[in-house]
Amino acid sequence: MGGLGAALVVLLAAGLAALVARWLSSVLEPTTLTVPERVPFTGGMPPQVHAWNRFHIRYYVMALLFLAFDMEMVFMYPWAVVFVEEGIVALVEMLMFILILVVGMVYTWRERGFQWA
Amino acid sequence: MGLRGWLGRLAVGVEVPVFPVVGGGAREAIQDLRLRPELELVDSPRHAAVMLVVGAFPPGDVDGLAQVHDQLAPPRRTVRWGGEPVASLPDAVVVDGGEDAVVAAITETFAELMSDPDRGEPPILPDVDPVEWRGVGPYGQGGMGMTGGTPYGRPMAERGPARDGLELDRVPITIGPWLPTLPPGLRLDVVFQGDVLQEVEVGPAPIVPGEGSDLFVRALTEPVPIAEMELARARHHLRLLAEILRVEDLAVASRRALRLVHGIRPGATGEVERLAAALVRAGLYALALRGVGRLDRPPPGPAARATGVAVDARSDDPEYRKLGFEPVTVEGGDAAARVRLLLAETVQALELAAKAGPARAGGRGVVEAPRGRLEVGEPPPERTLLDLAPEVLVGQEWGDAVTIIHTLDLDVEAAGREIPV
Repeated sequence: MGGLGAALVVLLAAGLAALVARWLSSVLEPTTLTVPERVPFTGGMPPQVHAWNRFHIRYYVMALLFLAFDMEMVFMYPWAVVFVEEGIVALVEMLMFILILVVGMVYTWRERGFQWA
Repeated sequence: MGLRGWLGRLAVGVEVPVFPVVGGGAREAIQDLRLRPELELVDSPRHAAVMLVVGAFPPGDVDGLAQVHDQLAPPRRTVRWGGEPVASLPDAVVVDGGEDAVVAAITETFAELMSDPDRGEPPILPDVDPVEWRGVGPYGQGGMGMTGGTPYGRPMAERGPARDGLELDRVPITIGPWLPTLPPGLRLDVVFQGDVLQEVEVGPAPIVPGEGSDLFVRALTEPVPIAEMELARARHHLRLLAEILRVEDLAVASRRALRLVHGIRPGATGEVERLAAALVRAGLYALALRGVGRLDRPPPGPAARATGVAVDARSDDPEYRKLGFEPVTVEGGDAAARVRLLLAETVQALELAAKAGPARAGGRGVVEAPRGRLEVGEPPPERTLLDLAPEVLVGQEWGDAVTIIHTLDLDVEAAGREIPV
């Protein structure tokens, strides 16, 4: 079977899977929900505002932390290569490096950097 | 048999997912149902097939009940346990009798529902948006907000400055009164920014006090056996501990505390002490409670004793003094201190019950109830705690707020009662 044949098989299988999923859904849950049935549950009272609301995820804290640990990994690859040659000295040096990073993480935690709201 | 019928037969064998709606006087009954292996009491109507309505409600339509009913995923059924039928739920199966009767009725109703989903109850509320979704343009497009108009009939949230100077949506939400995570009937009108509470008001409670007399209210006017009072205090504290452990996701420990309530005996403190040690090992204090909801000037009662202040009406009672009573205190004032105090007072209550014999105390117009100082002519301690709640909850994240609500032992039903003069 050539590449085109394989693509056709995948297309057919995907189309069939979609149809089966739709059929299963209609068999198992044939009802359509009404407006009150769709309302999010907060304890019985209706919501006052729409559920779409703007929420700052505060990516900058996450980005800084990611950078810190990303750089750690960048340094770890060459370290892993020379680790056997250098022995315990390399291990101690890497532990010191990780400790400095951990101090940074603890500082972020203390500054409430992990609180998302 | 079709696919649905086959799946329905499989479903009959599992624990019945039940959403409890708890009115006045039914807090303990619903707690005891959590020990039944036939049922699973779930925290959201979306996960339930049966809605169990128990306790006392005001006459007429009860706020939010029809809404909760419609939020159960269809097919659904409603069971009303004890009390008058509720006007908001006309199709409910009414059950009188004890715990076994209601469990039998629920399992039977669930089996019927699974074998024939068409026997489920239809929605009660009309299928209409609260406001038409329509913008200012000729085709309903445009206007204020993300999409113009009021999407699905509800306006968008307003924005306001957050704690770090960014602008964040201020989302007003009414939480409760039928949220199982909160004490029964507690309704909070809150404004969230992210998951931080910016404003909190306690709303009206749509439940009425249940029947039955309170031993501690009786002790205001007449002497009652100290052993009975102390056992009632130990039971109350263990039930509260079970609730705290449940909302902290320690379900096994919560059931263990509940089983202790039923096996309680004067002087039998060993199992309570073992539970206390298990909670330390589970990391409850270190991970969930330490530093949460610290109070500076709490009202007299357990909350004050958890700040190291030895204030307890029993200290002035000659009968308690004969037993060598001294108030237990714990330093800290946070949720961890309140839970430690709860356990220490449970042990103390069991010891006092063993020591007291037939001795009686009371009739002095003031008594130390499990939630604090109960005094003739004064508001009950539950009302003082409920009034304190908004001030304590503002600025808290929601998870911590739930912990604070339970460790302060808020109870809207008891807060609404009048102390007889």
